[in-house]
Amino acid sequence: MRRSNIGWLFLAPATLILFVVGFIPFLYILYVGFFDWNSNAVDPTLRWAGLQNYRNLVFDATFLNSLARTLVFAFIVVVSELLLGYVLARALMADRLWGRQFFRTIHTLPIVVAPIAVGATWRLLCVPGFGIIPYYLKLWFGIDYNISTNAYHAFGTAIVMDLWHWTPFVTLSLMAGLTALPKEPLEQAQIDGGNKLQIFWYVIVPMLKPVLLTTVFIRLMDALRSVDEVWMLTKGGPAEATRFIGLHIWINVFPKTDYGYGAAMSLLTLYVTIVLSWLLFVAMTGRKGGAQ
Amino acid sequence: MNSFIKAVGVGCLSLGLWCSTALAQDSWWKTAAQPYQGATIRGISESTPASKYVEQVLGPKFTQETGIKVEFEATSWDQMYDKAIKDMEANTGIYDFVYIEQDIVYTYLARNFLVDITKSLADNAKIASPDFKPENFTTFLNYFKDPKSGDVMGVPMEAFIKPYLYRKDLFDDPAIQKSYKDKTGADLKPATTHEEYTRIAKFFAEYGADKELWGTTVQASSSHPAAFYEFFESVAPTFGVYNWGIDGKTFAATEAHGGQMNSAASKKALNYWVDLLKYAPPESTSSTWDEVAGTFAAGRAAQGLVYGENAAWIATDESKSTVVGKVGVALPPVEAGVMEAAKAGKGYIGYYDGGAFGIPHSSKNKDASLLFLQYIGQTSVQTDWALAGSRIVMNSTYDDPKIVEQDKKVSGYYTLMRDDGKLFAGAPPFPFHAQVLQVVAPFIYKAIVGEIKPDDALDQAATAAEAELVKLGYRK
Repeated sequence: MRRSNIGWLFLAPATLILFVVGFIPFLYILYVGFFDWNSNAVDPTLRWAGLQNYRNLVFDATFLNSLARTLVFAFIVVVSELLLGYVLARALMADRLWGRQFFRTIHTLPIVVAPIAVGATWRLLCVPGFGIIPYYLKLWFGIDYNISTNAYHAFGTAIVMDLWHWTPFVTLSLMAGLTALPKEPLEQAQIDGGNKLQIFWYVIVPMLKPVLLTTVFIRLMDALRSVDEVWMLTKGGPAEATRFIGLHIWINVFPKTDYGYGAAMSLLTLYVTIVLSWLLFVAMTGRKGGAQ
Repeated sequence: MNSFIKAVGVGCLSLGLWCSTALAQDSWWKTAAQPYQGATIRGISESTPASKYVEQVLGPKFTQETGIKVEFEATSWDQMYDKAIKDMEANTGIYDFVYIEQDIVYTYLARNFLVDITKSLADNAKIASPDFKPENFTTFLNYFKDPKSGDVMGVPMEAFIKPYLYRKDLFDDPAIQKSYKDKTGADLKPATTHEEYTRIAKFFAEYGADKELWGTTVQASSSHPAAFYEFFESVAPTFGVYNWGIDGKTFAATEAHGGQMNSAASKKALNYWVDLLKYAPPESTSSTWDEVAGTFAAGRAAQGLVYGENAAWIATDESKSTVVGKVGVALPPVEAGVMEAAKAGKGYIGYYDGGAFGIPHSSKNKDASLLFLQYIGQTSVQTDWALAGSRIVMNSTYDDPKIVEQDKKVSGYYTLMRDDGKLFAGAPPFPFHAQVLQVVAPFIYKAIVGEIKPDDALDQAATAAEAELVKLGYRK
């Protein structure tokens, strides 16, 4: 058997699984998106709607607000996690840091906690009337912190919770990337008289690009489909202040059983995610299209 | 001597009869369950006191008597519906019995999710228990009958009203009564009108400012359907707005089309309810039914509308409640004319809630589940279950000495439920329950957090509800 055929044979099981659990459901969603289908309607069968679901989305303020809110959330958490993650990675790599191994372990712990548990824990910390965060914010700073009435408090808490949960992942990724960097270019840059900022920007960042790109993509896609943590923390509230797009789609598809519209929302969200990722890829690599 | 022999003889005969009856009783379940020995049935329910009793007591007892294992999942309200509905939609057959809350039964019936219990037992007389008699249940059973055939589709497992609970110790305190009289000019007594209720709430919010005590509970989570339910099922009816303000024939919601959702009465109700948040503890905007009960049990509110399923433990369980022996029970306050309308059968003053267990069509163990449902529907298991969960589904339970005794500890909650239960009503028979709820609830949330005014919230909610009903095909 030719070597290339053996390769395909090894890939076959994974490809088959991906086809069954990924591609076929995708085609089904694409199909359902063209229908008006609600199992609790007078006529619960699929009724052809053409592009009407997509047309409605363009005028659906709740959907558009959810999408915009999600993009803002994703932008803030990804940028913050990248900055924080880099600073922490450098700190945890510093030889002079006492108890480095211990801090590395502690710092990594949030990653292993299930998102649903993270959401529940933060909920307990923040619940008005009983949570320790509102209690001490009031006691020490006189702040009336309330995630069930103040949209900014709820949105801010969702961001902080995400930072707490996922910054360690970014730190670990960057630590791996930084450790693998060759020392010669850095030494050469120092000899050539580059200052710290110049070395960081012109030497470290370009060399770290593959790791940065992977990390940003993973975190961006995670942030865009954030559901379980936020569901546990605020249930999308107060009102709709933290109703991110994943949560909005879930509400439409499951409790509201609006399958056709929900399918259209999912596809449009997928499209936005792909476009964003592509733009990011182009911006970070300087490449255009898929030519290279 | 003769009389002694006679007495011994009669005694032996009685003992023999008793033993044989007892054995016959035991053996009926064993015999009926024989073909299903070793089977496992799985059920899902909301985690309520009544459900926990099924999980911890009735399930294991049934297993002991029949050899059929019962796996019971008591989870949150949202999770319960999410899992049960997905299971029934996908026909996966994970659950053999599911909790059907009174307000969702019409959706389940419309979608043919449930097994016809009456017909199934008639078709298979071998598993029809002589101790299961639908006529023993209160009229609450009617909610779980198929409107067309009258057949039973679910066995009631809990039923309760949502009464007005108040802190008897505070209301009866002479010093507080004097202070209240001095401040308001009125006597301190459980409110019968909304003005009185607000006045009492305001008074206790001021009185309790340094005591971790507030004037009222409000089930006003700003992101959970519990807020929608408290407003439309417990508060709006006390203002004469029934069935969520939706016309049952035309499915109109806006006043312009004959609905009541944005009527003057409805707006007055929402303004009143949102206004109460000023006198409620800070957790109120994140409170569902569980947190409201918790708030009251923690002694953080002087009064409130609390689901009756919690009344017993709040009033009697010292391990969970700080207000044992201090709880008074009364009917909710109403607008003028509403009580009269309810007594005449033309309206209602609050929510009569509860649920039943039904068998999904997708169940793979229907017969074993039918046995279990009949087992929990026996008269003999009702009293202890009522003591644990303050739920009553059979008329005979009210007269049981144990219940009469507990009724005194809960300030006559059971008497109130028996005598005035008819003034309360379940949710309207809408097959589009979840759809309208999801559309309308965000406007209620926005009114709670002050994003929009209550009047605007109801105007927008009514328009959105009608649009949804047109989309679903109910409103032409």
